[in-house]
Amino acid sequence: MSTAAASYRKQDGTVSVSADGKAVSWTSSSGAIPPLSIIIADIGNLQQTPATAAKASIKIVVPDSAPQPGSYTLQFTSSAARDDQQTITGLLRKWIEASKTQAAPTAAPTGTNGDGASAAIALAQTVAVAAKGSDDSYDDAKLLSDLELQMSLLNTNPSLRQRFDRALAEKPDTVSLGQFSNQFWTTRVHMLRSHVTEKTQATGTYNVLSVIKSKTVNGALTLSLTKEQIELLFRQHPIVQKAYNENVPQLNETDFWERFFHSRLMKKLKGERIREQDVLDPKLDKYLQYDEAIENSDQFIDSLPLFINIEGNEQNHSQKQGNRPDFTMTPSNYDKAPILRVLNRMSEKMLKDVPYSDGDRHAPVGVDEQTYKELQLRDLQRADDDNRVVLRVQDQSRFFSAGQSVQSSTSAATYTKRTPSQALAILHRDFEAISANQSKAAGVDLQTTLGINDDSSSDEENATSKIRKVGGKSSRSAATVQIVSAIKKRHLHDDDYSSSKAMPTSEQAKKLAISEAALDNLTITHNTTIEFLHYFWAVFHSGDSDRANEVAKLIETLDKSLDRIKAVADVAEADRSIQLDRYRKEVESYNQRSGKKRKFDPQNIKGGARAVNQVVEPLLRAINAARNQYAEALQEQMSQVSVGKGL
Amino acid sequence: MNTIDGSDRHVQTDSAPPPSLLAIVLDTNPHAWAHLSSSLSLSAALANILVFINAHLASGNANEVAVIASHSHKATFLYPTPTAPQPKARNGANGDVAMNGTDDSKGHHIAENPNKYRAFALVESAILKNFAKLLDETNESHLAATPTTLIGGAISLALTYISKSTMLHAPTAASAESMSLAALADSENAHVDRIPLTSRILIVSVSGDLANQYIPVMNSIFAAQRKKIPIDILKLAGDTVLLQQASDATGGVYMKPDRPEGLLQYLMMAFLPDATARASLVIPSAGGVDFRAACFCHRKVVDVGFVCSVCLSIFCSSNLPDNLCLTCGSYLSLRSALINPPALIPRKKKKKRKVGTDSATPGASTPAGSSTPMHP
Repeated sequence: MSTAAASYRKQDGTVSVSADGKAVSWTSSSGAIPPLSIIIADIGNLQQTPATAAKASIKIVVPDSAPQPGSYTLQFTSSAARDDQQTITGLLRKWIEASKTQAAPTAAPTGTNGDGASAAIALAQTVAVAAKGSDDSYDDAKLLSDLELQMSLLNTNPSLRQRFDRALAEKPDTVSLGQFSNQFWTTRVHMLRSHVTEKTQATGTYNVLSVIKSKTVNGALTLSLTKEQIELLFRQHPIVQKAYNENVPQLNETDFWERFFHSRLMKKLKGERIREQDVLDPKLDKYLQYDEAIENSDQFIDSLPLFINIEGNEQNHSQKQGNRPDFTMTPSNYDKAPILRVLNRMSEKMLKDVPYSDGDRHAPVGVDEQTYKELQLRDLQRADDDNRVVLRVQDQSRFFSAGQSVQSSTSAATYTKRTPSQALAILHRDFEAISANQSKAAGVDLQTTLGINDDSSSDEENATSKIRKVGGKSSRSAATVQIVSAIKKRHLHDDDYSSSKAMPTSEQAKKLAISEAALDNLTITHNTTIEFLHYFWAVFHSGDSDRANEVAKLIETLDKSLDRIKAVADVAEADRSIQLDRYRKEVESYNQRSGKKRKFDPQNIKGGARAVNQVVEPLLRAINAARNQYAEALQEQMSQVSVGKGL
Repeated sequence: MNTIDGSDRHVQTDSAPPPSLLAIVLDTNPHAWAHLSSSLSLSAALANILVFINAHLASGNANEVAVIASHSHKATFLYPTPTAPQPKARNGANGDVAMNGTDDSKGHHIAENPNKYRAFALVESAILKNFAKLLDETNESHLAATPTTLIGGAISLALTYISKSTMLHAPTAASAESMSLAALADSENAHVDRIPLTSRILIVSVSGDLANQYIPVMNSIFAAQRKKIPIDILKLAGDTVLLQQASDATGGVYMKPDRPEGLLQYLMMAFLPDATARASLVIPSAGGVDFRAACFCHRKVVDVGFVCSVCLSIFCSSNLPDNLCLTCGSYLSLRSALINPPALIPRKKKKKRKVGTDSATPGASTPAGSSTPMHP
């Protein structure tokens, strides 16, 4: 890092070029002007005063395409101004060239080994840029503009596609395709986002040896190996590659693989136990003694800081077993359970190939300063500042009890007819009636208190007293009626609820007694209408008078939706009338044949327009709410306009 | 082995339904009962409830009951009789609260009626005695102070009682572990698992104006929801706002009788089945539930309100003093939560204003313009 005294906008300060050559920055010594930081890769032009001039200054021009365009003139102020100018320009030239030759994007994060103010600024900036870069693919605006992504989502999701196509076909003409699709996707950004995530996922490597299996074809054992599998096998087991390299010219390639898959080496690699009767292979058996340690030397485990290495700490439990590693990893157990160890090693190898999802792949390995600081359990330290957000909840009763009195409420108004003492007196008198019995030996005679007299008929009761008696027959039957009707209603609702979850369309249609086609039609109409309702409310509440025409058109579309629903209802009604005719004939013929009188009851045939309207009732309500509010608002504004014109 | 020593070592499985605890919260607001006295007097209601309690106790041998009075100035237990915190004479409370929970040993003589099942008589006399005591304690100043009842406290009492009883019934975590270990070691021996208690709360409510207890009641509702305790509501009088939510959220029965005189019929038909039985029944609560909340600033029940993003307080208007939340004092600007007024007439220079567009938008309205209020 190189620094020099320089002034910018007539303010003294220091100019510095960060050590990694990413940024040039200037900080005011007085703090009058906020510090300046320019990313070197963004610099479009660099000018300096000629060596003969009195002033030594440089001018840095950043083109408009860069994040912070403008031109900055820095004048060197120290006694050795000329030298400073030379050093800084030289450095800048060097870094500008370096950044230009490096085709990599400017957002590449920098190392974190910088120190001093300028490095901190540079770091902050690059980190910000990097963070932005990684979030970019999930940004709402970007997702919404990514047509390709939307198409691919539609292709993978047929029901969404159907909905989209249908809504697109029925959209009002004034709404452009762009507006429509934008509206459609704004309510489904989460789907787009998950689709992006889905698309970026890729399958990792797998344990090749366990996948390759021999098959019996025509009595002969055959083995098929793909090129990719061989490649992966070499990568996962370098020893096989070594064996292959050393043996294949002499051996036929097919022969090599055949021998390999029968060899002890293969068994060892797979983690199977090698038995005495296994065939010996002079060529391949020498590789059995390969050194695993070399293979394991580049374990990424080393880069884990010890204090968060849970497994390591577990093993290093002095009270338990000293530093003994897990039993699958101790040499004495190698031969007892080879499969465990092999699988462990395979997993480690595979994991090593997977790039970190939470870090930059090209960043230096190990824990950097920032991560280390983050990992420190600061909040457990004694001297840590309390950085919790303090929530000061004020006494809530303040709001509620304030001004609450007998007069304050609705039902309290009815109570004011009696003074508290009267109310209390009524209660006391009433209660004495029941407790008076109690003092007698028999306790409360519940039967008389209840007042249920099964012998009395309801007529009698009405005759004797106009007041409804507690526990009287009429009261009880009224209660029964209320409860039974509530149960019936609930029963209906419960069925509706379960049907929407699991029942297939055909069954649902049967239950409603309308044709399946009609129900399908209804479902699609419902979906598109909901789509337009969303759109309508979005535009309605946008408050943008430029979109007023759009609102009007959308209302028309909603009207059309009503027509569509009516059309479905008409079809259902037509179906029903056909059925009704058939039923009438049936009844008539039955009556003629048997001579008995069977009553024709049109109520027996369910379905028709009534069933349809019952199903779409909430939708109709929603449409009407939208229309009413539109009409109301329109009328109000119209009257305002006319008043305005009249003046 | 069974054939060898002739013993039956099968694990005892109890086919009977689990015991059920019914906690009745009886709203004894004197104002409301005095108001109701012409149609349904408190004594008649009490008798009906006593019969209902007897029916509940009779429908299961191990069934239990607790009755809590939600009065105008306090909430108190009517049954079991609350014991003063003094050293107990009898040691070893065996949790058999239903049978001997009344401290009849205090010298109060229970009238022995040969025609009455003793357990019923015990509950009955305890309830009447405690209620008489409560009524005697009540004076006019208590009534003058408030038109409503302390329902929040009463529900809390019911919940704590249920929680305690459940703990007495169910094996604790430690005992379950030891039991399973014992079972492992000695798997041949039959061990009897303690059967968990199913509880429910029945609120017999006559008072309105419960919105001022919105917060404590809501908290109780959530507690009940977590513990899977249904809250049944029998609303004899008063407005319905809060309690309907309670029954809906906890899966209880909500009933507002058209004819309160048929109280016993309502109790028997709608509220007698316990949670176990209800699994195979259709619950008789129908109709839309009023989910509206009461605002914290004016205790109004609001259709569309504003919620503090920090403490979730509800406000009915967007004009808060100093843009600070009344409850927690954090900065809360509600201006951005307002929906734009619609502009429906194209190309007019004058900006059209419409008032009252932020009223309730029923149906599928999703105001896209509204967002979480942000600190600028």
